[in-house]
Amino acid sequence: MLEKSYASSEVQLVVFKLGKEEYSVSILQVQEIKRITDITRVPHTPDYIKGVINLRGSVLPVIDLKKRLNLPQQVLTEDTRIIIVKVDELSVGMIVDAVSEVMTIDQENIDSPDVVAGSVAASYLSGVGKLDNRLLILLNLEEIIGVGQETKVV
Amino acid sequence: MMDTNQYMGMFLEESREHLQTLNSCVLDLENDPENLSVLSEIFRSAHTIKGMSATMGFTTIAELTHEMENILDLLRKGQLKASHDIIDTIFRCVDTLEQLVESVASNNESSIDSKPLIIKLKALAKGEAVLSTPVKAEAVSIAPGASSSIELSDTEIAVIKKARDQGMQAYEVQVSLREGCLLKSARSYMVMNALDEIGEVIKSIPAVEELEKENFSLSFQVIVISGSEAEKIQHTVLSISEIDQAVVLPCILPNDATGEIIAPKSIEPMKKDDEAEKNGNVLVHTQTTVEKKNKSGQSVRVDIDKLDTLLNLVGELVINKTRLEQIGLTHKLTDLVETIEQMDRVTTDLQAVVMKVRMVPVGQVFNRFPRMVRDLSRDLNKEINLIIQGEETELDRTVIDEIGDPLVHLLRNSIDHGIEHPNEREEKGKNPIGEIRLIARHEGNNVIIMVEDDGKGINADIIKRKAVEKGLISQGEADAMDANEAVRLVFLPGFSTAAVVTDVSGRGVGMDAVKNKIESLGGMVDVETKVNEGSKFKIRLPLTLAIIQALLVKVSEEIYAIPLGSIDSTINIMPSDIKTVQNKEVILLRGQIIPIVRLADVLNIPDSDNQHTEEELFVVIVHIGEQRAGIIVDNLIGQQEIVIKSLGKLLAGIKIIAGATILGNGQVALILDIGSLIQ
Repeated sequence: MLEKSYASSEVQLVVFKLGKEEYSVSILQVQEIKRITDITRVPHTPDYIKGVINLRGSVLPVIDLKKRLNLPQQVLTEDTRIIIVKVDELSVGMIVDAVSEVMTIDQENIDSPDVVAGSVAASYLSGVGKLDNRLLILLNLEEIIGVGQETKVV
Repeated sequence: MMDTNQYMGMFLEESREHLQTLNSCVLDLENDPENLSVLSEIFRSAHTIKGMSATMGFTTIAELTHEMENILDLLRKGQLKASHDIIDTIFRCVDTLEQLVESVASNNESSIDSKPLIIKLKALAKGEAVLSTPVKAEAVSIAPGASSSIELSDTEIAVIKKARDQGMQAYEVQVSLREGCLLKSARSYMVMNALDEIGEVIKSIPAVEELEKENFSLSFQVIVISGSEAEKIQHTVLSISEIDQAVVLPCILPNDATGEIIAPKSIEPMKKDDEAEKNGNVLVHTQTTVEKKNKSGQSVRVDIDKLDTLLNLVGELVINKTRLEQIGLTHKLTDLVETIEQMDRVTTDLQAVVMKVRMVPVGQVFNRFPRMVRDLSRDLNKEINLIIQGEETELDRTVIDEIGDPLVHLLRNSIDHGIEHPNEREEKGKNPIGEIRLIARHEGNNVIIMVEDDGKGINADIIKRKAVEKGLISQGEADAMDANEAVRLVFLPGFSTAAVVTDVSGRGVGMDAVKNKIESLGGMVDVETKVNEGSKFKIRLPLTLAIIQALLVKVSEEIYAIPLGSIDSTINIMPSDIKTVQNKEVILLRGQIIPIVRLADVLNIPDSDNQHTEEELFVVIVHIGEQRAGIIVDNLIGQQEIVIKSLGKLLAGIKIIAGATILGNGQVALILDIGSLIQ
C-alpha cells in the first residue's frame, strides 16, 4: 500500500455525508468526484442501482449508496455528488449527499465495525474511525458493490 | 550472437500458419496422392519452417522438418507413393512440430521427443526408396534414345502426360551459373521460384536440397511444366542475375521416342495399407483450391491491440461528430452543418476501413476442422464427409478468436453422437458415409454459421424424459412443450452429463457452455432436428461488435436504441388494431399474425400510460431469424450510427439490454437485445 511507505500507520480517507452521518472510503479507491449528471435508468436491475452515466466516453454504473445501505432517502441537492470508485478493476459511481473533506487518520483510531450496531448491515462496513468527537464509518466497497456476485435479473 | 528475440513473434506466427497449411494440404494429398501441386505446397511450407527454425536456432524443429522434407522429396519425385503409413507419419510430424512450436511459444524446455519419428521417417525413406528403384531403372531402359538426360519416374511421366492433355508442355531447362557466382544456392532458389511462377517444377537434378547445400558445380537441370513458350521460360531464367546460360528443351517422354505405349505402372509397396484404409476411411473435402492459398498480396502484420485502440479512437470520433451535428442543428449554424456533412463522409469511410481491417475470413477457424474430423472419425471408426462452405465469410477478429471452441464442441457432438456407424447407417438405408456440413454465410447484419449432420437426430421425447428426471422441468411443463422447445432443453445448464450422452443420442455435452459463449458474443444458437434425418445447429453472430446503425426510439422519457439489422419496418396502428389471441396481444400485418411487445411494460418504465391512449401507436416490426414481433414505442427519434459500449461486469446479467451507447448530447442510451426481447 502506498500510504504505508511514508507513514505506516496513517490512512487517507475521503469523507462524505449520507444524511447526517459521516462515511468514508480510502482515497486510494477513489478515482474522481463528479457533480450529478444525467443518469440513465437500467431496467431489470436491483433498486439500489440508479443507472449508468457517461464518464468521458465510458459507461459506468451508478449506485444509490443510501438505498444500498438502507438509509432514508433524500432529494438531490446542489451538494449531491457522484464519487467514482475503483474496486477490483471495476469503476462504479456512488451517489452521496455531500463530500466534506479528505483527512488523514491514524490506523490506531480505527475500530472494528461491530462496535457500532447501527442501521447499516455490518458486512458493508470495514471499520469506524474516531477523530476528536466525530465518528467516520469506513465502508467495505467490495461488499457494497458486490463484485463477484453479479447482478441477477429481477 | 544474433538477437533473435525480436523475430520470435514473427517466427511463431508464420510457423503456425505453415503448420496449418501443412495440415490441410496433407489432407488433400491423402485424397489425391498424385496431386503434385499439393505436394509442392507441402514441400514449400515444410521448407520454410525448416529454414526459419534453423535460423532461430531451434534445431529439433529443423531436424524433424529436414527428415520430413526428405520423404516429401521422394514423394515429389515419385520414388515413393503416398501410402497410408506415410500420410499418417507426416501427420504425426505435423502434430509434433505443432507441439514443438507451442513449447517454444510458452518458453518451456521442450520435453517432446522427436527421435522415434525421425527414425520412422528415415526408415520410410530407405525402405520405400529401395522398393522403387527397379521401377525407376525400368523407366530409363524404355527410353534409350530419349534426348532428355533426366531420368523420369512413372509418376512424373504421368504428370507430364496429363499436362500435355491440358495443352501444356514439359521442358527441360539446363541452367548454368556464371563462374565465380557466390551465392549458388540463392541463385538456384531464384531460378526455381521464377519457374514456379510461370509453371510447375516437377523435378530437379540435383535435388532441391542438394542445390540448397550448394552440392553442385555450376549447372543444374530442372523439369518444368508450363503453358508458356520455351523462349519465355528462357527469358525468365536469364532475367535472374549471375545466370550464364539457360537452355530450354522440350522434354521428350520415353514413348514419344519409341512410339510405344507404356502401361501405367503403379508402385504398390504396401498391400496391408489398403485394408487399413477400409476401416475409417475419411473423405474430407473443402472447397478451397490450392491456387487460392498461393494468392498473397502485400500485407503487414499488426498487433490486434493496436487495432482495438484504433477502433476505440474512431468510436470516440463518431461520438464527437454526432455531438457537433447536434450543436450545429440547435444553433442553426449552416456552415458548421455543411462542414460536418463532409466530415461525416470521411468518418464513415474511416470507420468502414477500420472495421474491414479487423475482419478476417472465418476460414481461419474452419481450416483446422478437416483434420479434427478426420482424426475423430477414424478413432470412432466412422466414415464422415465434412463439407465446408462459405469459409470466405468475414467476421470481426474478436468474434473469430472466440468462436473456435463452440464450433469444436458442436462438431465433436455431431461426429460422436450424431453420425451413426456405417453399418447402422446402411441398415437405415442411408449412405454409409455420414455427412457434416459446416456452412457460413451472411444474413443482413449477421453471420450465420451452421453445423449440420445427417445423423440420427435428437429424440425430443427422450430429452423431455431426461429433463424431468433431472428436475430441470416439471412433468406438466414437459407435456406442454412441442418438439422444438424440448430439443432446446439441451442448452439448459445441468442437462449434460455423461449418462445422458450415451442414452440420448448424446447431445448436451457442454451445450450450455456453447450457448453462453455465443450469447456473450452477442449471438444466438438454435437447433433443429429430425429423428433419423439429422440435426442442424444454427449460430447467429453479429458482424461487428463495435459500431452499428440503430433506430432511436423514445418511451416515456427514456431513449432506447434498436439495431437496424433486426428491424423490418415501422408502422402506425390504432389501439383497436391490437387483438388478443390466447391472452397475448397480436396485430395482423399483411396477413401475418405478429405478437406485440409493449416496451414500457417489458422495461418497467415508470409513469408511462400509453396503454390507455386512443391515439396512433408507433410499432417497430423486428425479426430474429423467422421470428417476428412488433415493439410498441411512444416515439421514433431517428436513425443513427451508434458506438456499442459494454455495460460492464456489474450489469452483465441483464438479458434484454445488449449494451449502451452515448448520444450526441452526452447522455447514455441503452441498446435493446431484440433476440431476448421477443422470446
